[in-house]
Amino acid sequence: MNTTLETRQIKTARFGAIEVDESRIFHFSEGLLGFGHLHDYARLPGPDCTPLEWLQSCEDPELAFLIMNPLLFKDDYRVPVTPEELDLLGLPGPEAGEVRVILVVPQNPALMTANLQGPLVFNPATRRARQLVLAGPEFVTRFRVFAD
Amino acid sequence: MLVLTRQVNESIVIGDDIEITIVAIAGDKVRLGISAPARVAVHRKEIAQAIKAENLKAAGADSQHVGDLSKLMGKKQPGEGGKPGQPA
Repeated sequence: MNTTLETRQIKTARFGAIEVDESRIFHFSEGLLGFGHLHDYARLPGPDCTPLEWLQSCEDPELAFLIMNPLLFKDDYRVPVTPEELDLLGLPGPEAGEVRVILVVPQNPALMTANLQGPLVFNPATRRARQLVLAGPEFVTRFRVFAD
Repeated sequence: MLVLTRQVNESIVIGDDIEITIVAIAGDKVRLGISAPARVAVHRKEIAQAIKAENLKAAGADSQHVGDLSKLMGKKQPGEGGKPGQPA
């Protein structure tokens, strides 16, 4: 029997076993760089009162990244998405995608950095996602999120 | 490693659908033209390695640090101060 509730149970180290709506689960056909063997990730709400999200691996309970909308701290950040990438994501145009960047949280969180060189682009319609690799001086791997 | 000698405008093919052409040579720089299917990722190695290193670092998010971060974000808005963040 088909179930009408489209959810998936995933095991996580941070949140235990959780039931996740399929609409939150994205498939990275190439995986993330360094994690090419893992393809499915759930986007979960981050800590309370923050604009953060968790990108939790559905396959490795231990693996979760903190991600964030880069426009919240760098409003001129634009991701050049090639027609080939749009095609792989099934996006009709770049504006239909959602861009998030991966954060690195050091011991002093005020020094948190965001990776602007390898942004994640999500297509909520197809639930496909990719990590892009951008070349150019403005695309740094360690951008300080909080101004001094 | 297979090592081949090629001249400008000559190519090598890898499998059926990947072709690498020597476009130009100037001093110690070589310009390559790469034609490959969209599903094949082609990147400059040092950039892909830098992103991979950041991914590996980000994957180890410490719960304590994340807790401190959410406290900080309760007080401070990202990018606030009218001054954009700077590359670290």
